[in-house]
Amino acid sequence: MSAFHLGGDKRVPLAEAAARVGDGALVALGGGLCARLPMALVRELVRQGRRGLHLVGSAHSIDVDLLIATGAVAVCEESYVGFEQDLGLAPAFRRAAREGTVEIRESCCATILAQLRAAEAGVPFTPVRGIKGTDIEGLHPEYARMTCPFTGEELVVVPPLRPDVTLLHAPVGDAHGNLHLDQPFVLDERFAHASAQVVATVDRIVPTAELVTSGVVVPGHLVSAVAEVPYGAHPSSCYPGYAYDRPHLAAYLAAATAGGTALDEYLARYVAVDEDTYVKDVDPGRLASWSESTAAWQELFR
Amino acid sequence: MSAWSLDEAFVVALARTIADREAVFHGFASPCAQVAMHVAKRTHAPDCLLIEGATYAVDPVPVFVPPTGNDLALHRDAVYRMRFEEFFDAACRGAVDRMFLSGGQIDGYGSTNVTAIGGMPHPKIKLGGGGGGGNISASIGALTVWTSRHRAGRTLVADLDFLTDLGHRTREGTRAELGYTGGGPQWLVTELGAFDFDDEGHARLRALWPDVTVDDVAAATGFALRVALDGADGLLDPPSEAELAAVRAVDPLGVRRSEFADPELARTFSTAAVVS
Repeated sequence: MSAFHLGGDKRVPLAEAAARVGDGALVALGGGLCARLPMALVRELVRQGRRGLHLVGSAHSIDVDLLIATGAVAVCEESYVGFEQDLGLAPAFRRAAREGTVEIRESCCATILAQLRAAEAGVPFTPVRGIKGTDIEGLHPEYARMTCPFTGEELVVVPPLRPDVTLLHAPVGDAHGNLHLDQPFVLDERFAHASAQVVATVDRIVPTAELVTSGVVVPGHLVSAVAEVPYGAHPSSCYPGYAYDRPHLAAYLAAATAGGTALDEYLARYVAVDEDTYVKDVDPGRLASWSESTAAWQELFR
Repeated sequence: MSAWSLDEAFVVALARTIADREAVFHGFASPCAQVAMHVAKRTHAPDCLLIEGATYAVDPVPVFVPPTGNDLALHRDAVYRMRFEEFFDAACRGAVDRMFLSGGQIDGYGSTNVTAIGGMPHPKIKLGGGGGGGNISASIGALTVWTSRHRAGRTLVADLDFLTDLGHRTREGTRAELGYTGGGPQWLVTELGAFDFDDEGHARLRALWPDVTVDDVAAATGFALRVALDGADGLLDPPSEAELAAVRAVDPLGVRRSEFADPELARTFSTAAVVS
């Protein structure tokens, strides 16, 4: 059987897509910061009660924080988790780090890239330029140091990173799992090639001919399942469809910071429900107003 | 008479650390650096290669600077967008000339902690994390380090709780001893003053904002203060009309202000005198 995901119609319901992520899986999250995060998949993993996940990624926010808040995460190997200067530190991540309920193996974007490339190329390690002398090195007993046989330099070397599954959200895809993304792709292409499989949601399934015109960024042979979930990245942005939902993110942060019943109420209202109910409630159609004028776009960030 | 606020002069000071025809990059969660790069591009450094953090767009003209770093408003009309790997490769091989770095803690050698207050594995406060800094701070040509939180006394420290990004020296030795090719921190700009780094790679106070004294800086600084006040190449001089206009045009939402405590935002200056 091929290592690629060949043939057929890969469309599945969201629940079936998320079911491909097992307890304890090494999961790469696509998108970055508050853009194009696979939020519908994240919410479905919470509904299904997934546990023990090992998350890897570059710079992330509510996707990681929500999974931590609901007890789904054992290890967090992201390079950054937070809401930037706008909304601040990630509350569940911060609490879990302090209490030791999640193992924090903070990594560095360029190191993750090097590890994915080792996996893609089928080689046992890759050297990196920095890390030596930082305290990041001490969080990773799997790293080693090696003397270069050509220059004599001592470098930190890192092993391959092969996620069990990469979760991506794309604005459009086709029934075979071909995906079109707009830049920045962040690490999505590298994750897709290094992982055993990609599980994707898309705002819209379109005919293959239409997708090819837009440009295929992640090819279907890397994708095992695709679910059509309109607004599947909300409350992160997925342009050109919708901007970042700042009030919703602020409401999540308030709930996650308070914890207890405030968090329970957030989860009951926004996560325990199905995605159709979620979309009716959060009304993400208003986030398309960014394209009307600069003033309307700015208003979404005030 | 021209008047301006500290936050405006602060981003202008950061902008002035950029030379024309440099390739310059900022990390995410860095609105002051982000605005500063666009100010430089629109004033004294039109031919810098401006690489937006988080979108990796090259020389974009933002519609406005939004409060989140991966947003279409920053790069909608960019002619080119680097791939993630294209940027990090360039930075690791030494093709990027300058990067802006900040931190919850900064030591006298310009190393920063953006990982954890109270150290790992069980920090008192888990900060967001270092993004790509742990590698590229080793190889980028020069670093402009900044903080808008110097006065509270917890940021410029003698010893970091955790070393995320590389300054001129770590517990394992100097940059040269570690084999790093990047030049390390060149400037450290704070809401109190501007430092450069001496022959030992240690911060040295070169200029003060008009309403700040050396005693103010000493009281807020955890490492022994080295002082060589000579104006810091004009870094903190009053902003020009062109610079102020650029700040206001690039950042109409004032996202740069999110980096400052409220009392700092009340600091205003004018060409006649310090107003408050």
